[in-house]
Amino acid sequence: MKGVKIDKLRICLAASAGGHLTQLLKVADTFKNYEVFYVSTLDSIAKTLERKGTFYLIGECNREHPFQVMLVFFRCIKIILSKKPNVIISTGAAPGYLLCLVGKLFGAKIVWIDSIANVERLSLSGRLILPLSDLILSQWPEVAKKYKRVEYAGTLI
Amino acid sequence: MIFLTVGTLFPFDRLVKAVDMTIGKNNGYEKVFAQVGKTDYELKNIEYTAILENSNFDKIMADADCLISHAGIGTITMALELNKPLLVMPRRKKFKEHVNDHQLATARKFEELGHVLVAYTEEELPDKLRELKTFVPKARKNQAKKVASRIAQFLAEANLERYGR
Repeated sequence: MKGVKIDKLRICLAASAGGHLTQLLKVADTFKNYEVFYVSTLDSIAKTLERKGTFYLIGECNREHPFQVMLVFFRCIKIILSKKPNVIISTGAAPGYLLCLVGKLFGAKIVWIDSIANVERLSLSGRLILPLSDLILSQWPEVAKKYKRVEYAGTLI
Repeated sequence: MIFLTVGTLFPFDRLVKAVDMTIGKNNGYEKVFAQVGKTDYELKNIEYTAILENSNFDKIMADADCLISHAGIGTITMALELNKPLLVMPRRKKFKEHVNDHQLATARKFEELGHVLVAYTEEELPDKLRELKTFVPKARKNQAKKVASRIAQFLAEANLERYGR
């Protein structure tokens, strides 16, 4: 329809398949009133996520395989350029971080929820995204205390 | 039925071999079914598969009496939600089983909180497996709503900032 103003945020929800995604989906209802799309790393969960919204596959990568990291990085650029999300919310891991990094470069706000698995300190991705994040949460109060900007708001599990 | 799973990412032969050997030595165990990932190791004493489709995985988890797994947060979460006793072995960086030792810290923390049993080495596995039969995990209080609230607050502010409503 011409002339209709869109006045709600476009949110990208990004998480690696497995524990990271499980945790992110625990707060999925929060995004009901916004425009949402999903990014994850395994084809096998596409069906589950497609029921909730548009799904993009970026593949998995980690710090030990720089070539994979570059591939995933370029796929992130493609998604950010085409979808232009206003907010990116991620629980990690490395692919989530890369999407947040690219997103920030193109003006998105970043919400990072560090995985509950990181019980002693923020994950590597969390530490890397910390200076660029707009809201960053740890699920352990003793971890949040170690960093000035990290909040503790409860646990997802 | 005991369900052994190594998670979605990499095989975990050290755990799989240890369980296979333990079951082989003692015929007093109930049925074990294993999801072992893409590995060349051929189990001798347990029925297994490399990968399980989500719906199958969910069904087997629900039917299992107890679980054995790596110390992955996804599996720990599922076990707590289904109230299934879980024995974990943390993946170790030194054995190239994961990129760092966060599973060790996760295992220690969740063991401390009474949510899981932990076998830190293959040597500990047989005793822990015996303990698993009578282990009652401490339930975990769900706080996802609190986190959701905080995020909802952030989004409302961001929406206001951008669109004035």
